[in-house]
Amino acid sequence: MHGVALSRWTMSYFAAALAALMAAEVLMAAGYGFPSAPLRAPETLLLVHLVAIGWLSLLLCGALFQFVPVLVARPLFSNMLPLPTLVLLLAGLVALLMGFLQLGGALGAWPWLLPVAASLLAGGFMLALYNLGRTLWAARPLPLPARFVAVALVFLAATIALGALFSSAFAGLVTSDALLRIAGEGVGLHAVAGIGGWLTFTAMGVSYRLLAMFMLAPETDGSRPRAVFGLGTAALGVAVLGGVILVVFDMPSGLALIAGGAAGLAGIALYGADMAMLYRKRKRRVIELNSQMAAWALAYFFASIALALILIGLGVFYDHIGAVVFLLAFGWLSGLGLAKLYKIVAFMTWLECYGPVLGRMPTPRVQDLVVEGPARKWFVLYFLSVLAATAALLGQHILGFRLAAGLMVVATALIAAHLVRTRRLAGIGLAGGVRRPHLFLPGPEPAQP
Amino acid sequence: MKEDHAMTQTFVDLDVRPILLNGGEPFSKIMEAVERLAPDEGLRLYATFKPLPLFQVLGAKGFSPEAREIEGGDWEVLFHRTGEQPQAQEAPGEGAAHDDSGWPEPVQLLDNRDLDPPEPMVRILAALETMASGAVLCALLDREPVFLFPELEKRGHAWQCGPDADAGTYRLLVRVGG
Repeated sequence: MHGVALSRWTMSYFAAALAALMAAEVLMAAGYGFPSAPLRAPETLLLVHLVAIGWLSLLLCGALFQFVPVLVARPLFSNMLPLPTLVLLLAGLVALLMGFLQLGGALGAWPWLLPVAASLLAGGFMLALYNLGRTLWAARPLPLPARFVAVALVFLAATIALGALFSSAFAGLVTSDALLRIAGEGVGLHAVAGIGGWLTFTAMGVSYRLLAMFMLAPETDGSRPRAVFGLGTAALGVAVLGGVILVVFDMPSGLALIAGGAAGLAGIALYGADMAMLYRKRKRRVIELNSQMAAWALAYFFASIALALILIGLGVFYDHIGAVVFLLAFGWLSGLGLAKLYKIVAFMTWLECYGPVLGRMPTPRVQDLVVEGPARKWFVLYFLSVLAATAALLGQHILGFRLAAGLMVVATALIAAHLVRTRRLAGIGLAGGVRRPHLFLPGPEPAQP
Repeated sequence: MKEDHAMTQTFVDLDVRPILLNGGEPFSKIMEAVERLAPDEGLRLYATFKPLPLFQVLGAKGFSPEAREIEGGDWEVLFHRTGEQPQAQEAPGEGAAHDDSGWPEPVQLLDNRDLDPPEPMVRILAALETMASGAVLCALLDREPVFLFPELEKRGHAWQCGPDADAGTYRLLVRVGG
């Protein structure tokens, strides 16, 4: 059993991620991309990748560099790699967004932009995969939440591979028929691997541990969470791998999505039962804001699945796929992300500032670094505006969507202001040599004992 | 065998319920009473809960517990002398960070289960500051205190941590000053 140090660059990942989220929300409010532009327009691609890579993937990478070691009770393989990883990912993201601008005709024709972006992003994600993969590999056999993360990392690799293929095809670098077929029909598979395999599967695995920890609920490690893991892995494997194989042999990849979807639904239903049990069996009666808001995010997750099923039943799924993806991305993944950020930033700041003096002088509690009452209002505004935006998408009311997106900007900015307040140790006296931390950069290298 | 011991052994009574009801920590009182026992005496302890952590600590001193719930949800525990002093303290788990030979008995016991993180860490570091060099603290926890370990090392303490016999519990031993 080993100790875990604070991840030095995690706050920088969080800061970059929040900036990307707010930029994406501002663009949506301004009428850039879907629904003002078509779903497959370059503007929408820019928006989607700003959210998926800039916000969600940077958030998850930053969080995983800190919490994979906690999940497996081992130190991170390398504390040096997260900085070059971040630099590559940010450079790749900027190049990718410029590549989409060029596709949309807003920039001159630089066909090499997308392959360069894909190379930078692949480099950054490979470094993250290597670092997290080595950490997990050294800790086998893995506890269940870590196994979710391990599978999610495989789907991150699959998402990058498909993305790199698209960019090469755009640039005319691909000549193989099979690869061109994947590039032509693999967008759905790329989205399922990214949103389902990488982002949702990580969120599910981590939620088992974080919710149990923050609500003093018993750790779930029985047959049901194992079934969630098994069904989820099988569902994603069938949908993505099966889909690629079908496309290569020129058969409709929808079959794989349907087969994977059925197993996925069973897994999600069991996951819902597990989450309900965590909340029901908690020993902490009054739960903190992060756990309250995680319940909203979970509700939005199940609502988006229910919405998808209803739309499929009505035969109009493909007309409204944007609304389903929006609710998944902003209600479930972003909602959970913001809720957990609120706790993680407070905890990491507390440990950074007060860890060295604990027991030697009176120190504030982690909860003294936050003011939940005022913050709750902005979380509620965030979740309600996501709901309104989803409804506007379903009703194809573009102005309504833009107004709701505007409210999301306000709510996110005010939640971010609360995170800044926490980092600044606002309202807490500094005593005994405790220093205010930098807003999002690491402090001086700790002295070796 | 144990039955015979129980029949012939006399027991010194110790009721720690008032201390517990006042929110106090009866561990030192119990250890004092144990130190004062004659070689043929056992301890009859009354507590408001089944004092599982104590079973291990006193087990290491050659006592075996016999617990029964009494009226009002309280517990009566008879600690019999088994006559066998364990050779050495059992290593608490795989991956112990330091050599555990020659560690003295814990002088402080903290039951940190069911506490909000990071409260267990706060309590352990606060308790260690009050202890003499070489003294050992024993803490029971719901999960490995992974953020505590680097702090223990920085402060020059030695530690071992592993799963407890009680399922879902981890036992941490810290020796002040390494």
